[in-house]
Formats: sequence, C-alpha cells, structure tokens
Amino acid sequence: MVSTQAGAGIGIANLPNQRHAIASKKGSNYTIMLCGESGLGKTTFINTLFTTTIKAPKTYKRRFNNSTTEKTVEIEIIRAELEEKQFGVKLSVIDTPGFGDYTNNRDSWMPIVDFIDDQHESYMRQDQQPQRQELSDMRVHCCLYFIRPTGHTLKPLDIEVMKRLGTRVNLIPVIAKADTLTPTDLHKFKKRILEVLAAQNIMYYTFPLESDDEASTRRNMNIMAAMPFSVIGSTDDVLTADGRTVKGRQYSWGVAEVENEDHCDFKKLRQLLIRTHMLDLIHSTEEFHYENYRRAQMETRKIGEAKVKTVTNPKWKEEEEALRKRFTEQVRLEENRFRSWEQQLIAERDRLNKDLEAEHSHIKALEAELESMQVGVSPKQRK
Amino acid sequence: MAHRIGRRKNVKKGFQFTLMVVGASGLGRTTFINTLCDADVVPKRESDEPEMAHVEEAIKIKPYTVELDEDGVKISLTVVDTPGFGDMIDNEYCFQEILGYLERQYDDILSEESRIKRNPRFRDNRVHALLYFITPTGHSLREIDIELMKRLSPRINVIPVVGKADTFTPTELADFKKRVMEDIEHHNIPIYNFPYDPEEDDEETIDENSELRSLLPFALIGCEEEIMVNGRKVRGRQYPWGIVEVDNTQHCDFAKLRFALLSSHLQDLKEITHDYLYENYRTEKLSRSADNLSD
Repeated sequence: MVSTQAGAGIGIANLPNQRHAIASKKGSNYTIMLCGESGLGKTTFINTLFTTTIKAPKTYKRRFNNSTTEKTVEIEIIRAELEEKQFGVKLSVIDTPGFGDYTNNRDSWMPIVDFIDDQHESYMRQDQQPQRQELSDMRVHCCLYFIRPTGHTLKPLDIEVMKRLGTRVNLIPVIAKADTLTPTDLHKFKKRILEVLAAQNIMYYTFPLESDDEASTRRNMNIMAAMPFSVIGSTDDVLTADGRTVKGRQYSWGVAEVENEDHCDFKKLRQLLIRTHMLDLIHSTEEFHYENYRRAQMETRKIGEAKVKTVTNPKWKEEEEALRKRFTEQVRLEENRFRSWEQQLIAERDRLNKDLEAEHSHIKALEAELESMQVGVSPKQRK
Repeated sequence: MAHRIGRRKNVKKGFQFTLMVVGASGLGRTTFINTLCDADVVPKRESDEPEMAHVEEAIKIKPYTVELDEDGVKISLTVVDTPGFGDMIDNEYCFQEILGYLERQYDDILSEESRIKRNPRFRDNRVHALLYFITPTGHSLREIDIELMKRLSPRINVIPVVGKADTFTPTELADFKKRVMEDIEHHNIPIYNFPYDPEEDDEETIDENSELRSLLPFALIGCEEEIMVNGRKVRGRQYPWGIVEVDNTQHCDFAKLRFALLSSHLQDLKEITHDYLYENYRTEKLSRSADNLSD
C-alpha cells in the first residue's frame, strides 16, 4: 500500500471539499412530520424552529361551518424552500389535523401510518422504473410526537400510535407546552415517559454518541440525556425582567424563554433536527427504515407488482361509493342513448327497404308493360 | 323532606353541598379538589406499572366527603371525582356512566318521596353542580367537551372551567374564554351562568352575577404546596421564570369560584337542582311509566 506523506499529498484530502461543493449545489430534501392532538403547539413550534411562518396559525371564523359528521384524520403537506448562506433545503412539513381530537379515536393512526408507508412504496416503485433521475422523495425523515403535558404518564392512545410509528420512522417524543410543568414535575414526567417507552418496547430515535472530538461527544450525550425534549414555542419578541429582548411567552408572573436551556430543551432539539443530526436523520431513514420496508415488501411481492391496498379512511370509502354511483349512472344513460339510436336506425332501414321494394315492383311493372308493347310491335314490322 | 330550611337553622346545622368534578386526567382535577378543601381529600394517583400503561382504564365515580368551615358556617361538602374520563381511545361510554350516576341519585329521592313512611335520616345525594375541566388547547371546544356538556346539562348545573390555566398568557386566556363561550352559545348548551333578573334583583346582586358570568369559563390553577414569596407563605407553583399564586385573582379565578360555590351561590345551585332539574327528571320519568302502563 502506498501512503502519502503529510504536506506532499496528491489531493485526496480535497475530496470532502468537493463533496461539500456538490452537496451545496444540489441542496437537500427534508421531511418532518408533526403528530399530536390539536392545541399542543405544533404549528407554533415549526414556525419557531425555522424562524419563519411555515404554517399560518389557525383561524376560528369558519369553525362553525364544518359538518361534525366528518371525523377523520387528514394529512396536510406544507412545502417550503429555505435558503441560508446559499444552501437550499426543500422542506416538507407533514401535519396530522384531527388526530386525537375526537371522542372516539380508534384507528385514527391508520392514515398516518399509511402515509409513511406510501412514501417508502412510492420511492421504491420509482427506483424500479427505467428512468430514475428525477425521483420525487417525500420519505419522512423524522416524526415529532407531541405529548400532552399532563405530568402523569402516556395515554393508551399515545402508546398505540408510537408503537406503530417507531418501527417505520425516526420517532422523537416531545413534551409540548412544557411551560405548564414546574422543573420537579418535568423531571418526574420525563423519567416516567422513558420508563413507559422502555416497558412498552417503543423504538425511538437514537444516534451514536461517540464522536471524533470531545466536545461533540459531550454535546451528543447532553442531547440524548434530555429526551423526551421539553418544548416551548413562540414567534413573538418579549422583554424580560432584566431588559433583554427574547423569543418567549409573557405571563403575569414572568417570561418563559424559548432559547433558555433552563426553561426548556428547544435549543437541544433544534441542534438535533438541523445543526448536527439532520444528515443522520436523513441517512437513517434511507438506510434503515426504507431498507426495512423494501426488504419486507420484496420478500412477499414480485418486482412491478402493485401493493395490496386497504381503504381504511371512511371518508375515502364514501367518495369512492359516490364516484362509483355516478359512473354507473353515466354508463346507464349512455347505453340508453345508444339503444334508442339503434332503434331509430333500424326503423330507418326498414322504411328505406320498403321504398326500395316499392320502386322495384314499380320497375318490374314497367318492364312487363314494355315487353308486352314490344311483342305487339315486332310482328307488325315483319310483314 | 325539608328543602326550604330557614337560614338561622342552617347556620347552626350547617349546609350540605355535593359537587362533581369531571375532566381528562392531567388537567388538575385532583389538585383542584385538594386545594378547594385545603386538605388531602383525594389521594395522589399511584403510579401504575409502566408495562400496564397501554391498558385502558374505564371511568370510575368516587365520592369523598369533607367537613369545611367557611367563616363560621359549617359545610358538609361531598366531592365526586371521575378519574378515567376521556382517557380511553374510545370514550363514548363515559357519558352514560356519569349520567347514570346522576339519575340514580334522583331515582333514590323519587322512591323515598313516594314512601308511606319516610326515613328521617335519609341522605340526599343529589349532585348540585358539575365543574367541567376544559382542556386548555388555546383553540376552541373539542368534540368531547361539547358532547359532555350537552348531555349532562339537562340533569345538573354545569359550570365550565379551564384547568391548568397557567398555560396561557393573559391575551391567550381572554381569547380562549371568548371562543369557548361562543362555542357554548352556538351549540345551545344550557350551562349555569349565574342567572339574575335585571328588573327584580337589586344592583348588588346584578353586579355580582354579571361579574361571575363574565369570568366564565373560570381559569383555574391548582397547587397544594406552600412556598415562600417575599417573606410570606403562599400556595403557588414555582417556575424558573416566576411564581404563580393560586389565591391571587390576577393570576387565576380560583378564589372567586370558591366563594361562589361555597358561599354566595351555594343555595341557588341547590334550589335550581331541586326546583327545576329534579322536577324535570321526575316529570319525564313518571310520564314514561304512565305511557308504559297505558300501553
């Protein structure tokens, strides 16, 4: 093996810089899913995270227009293109409005789970096509699950959903609206959640702690130790008691600051999601979750075969029924139209045939007359 | 069965009042009860095994009785807790459980009333008010909130409250309260809204009731520990950014609600329960059995 001396290199060491240039130009796809009941600050959080209004806050003016019979969980996709120092990110935020909001939430996780699987499926199919340069990739790189800050424990619904999410996507549990909990309450709650996650075998996102330098290792350990992350979200600037202007929430009894690590874990979570582990989240989705899905599918299906689809969303069932009805109705109308047209044509043909016959017999009569006249003429001519 | 007891007699004998508290876990229901009674009435929820956390627990109805002394007036307060409400994946069953309990108390009175020889020591277990804890989402009422209040208000005085109100900044709280009241009106939910007669009642009563009505739904913060603030002991919650005081009316409506329930409006709530809600139930039930007989 030939080894190069330090300082007299052939330029291999420049490879990372080249990759950096290539990656910078190409930009990146990043898909984050937000899962949790409404009113837990998901929209505020994502806007705080990216310091821009990715999703507009809820309006209440038309809440009485909704029919209460539609009890479904929707999948809402919000796309944004972010750029910082000429590096672009195609961000997709997946929201799940309706989840956990109803009296009966049974099976409410189906649309969410189906969506995640569908993205893996879609990528897999595209990858099998002859032309696969322009792949549209919306595989979910991480799923933030917002936990209600009860201070007690996880609810059965949380457990059911997280069990299913953990095996498909990088699941990051988050304690929402953490400014409701005192430090002692928060500590107990976090401990309790970790106990339940372990006892229920729920897989959540972890990453390798060991790193090249001390500082990174320490930072990684800090981040892991803070799981599940307590979060306070705010896009408003407020003035603290000691005169600083910060992003925070102004109560009558003080200001809860978003970026103060004594108040919440927002900074650590942001670090994880963007500054240090975004690449790991993307890679682990591609190399682990996607590969798992692909392997599971290929063991049971042939290449090119379609996936067995189960329609679980009741709203889609209704739409499907309505469409089928309309289609059948249209077909029936068209058939009727053709039938009556056919009748008309037959009637026409019969009429024409009759006329033809009439003409025919008329001609015959004339011919007979002509013949009889000719017979009469010719004997005269012979005389 | 004497309901119109004179005031003098009451002061010596004391009042009896039954209050039911309903809301999802983690909204401060238990803490509220203990704060209200200034005692450990409801034991702290024991931590269940983490392995059992996925098991859905059905709603339970648990009454606790405590003797209070309000400025020299004795009150025998029964608080009915409802742990497990809204905790299951499918909560359709909860409403019937609570309704069943309320109606059973009415049935007991009904059968006692119809006895030839009545029991002088008969205990009236009818519930006089229901405090419903609304989840502080910051948006508007959820489906389960609307369902519960709609189904129960024909049988009991429903008073909506917001649990863990220290989730809100002052503006957020005002907006949320407004939206909740709009929702309640839109869905025609007949809650107890401190009724008064602008023609008949005196100014003091009108002011008092309008003020309480404007505070609906009551913003509650509960706390059982005492901490030191500026040298005095207060009931409060200590955050890194400040201290929330339970008894400070700037921070929450706990003090005002307590006074309304245990002093100023106790009698009104009992009267409405007996003269109106119970009477309606009685009429409905007796007409139903009359129909059954005539069939």
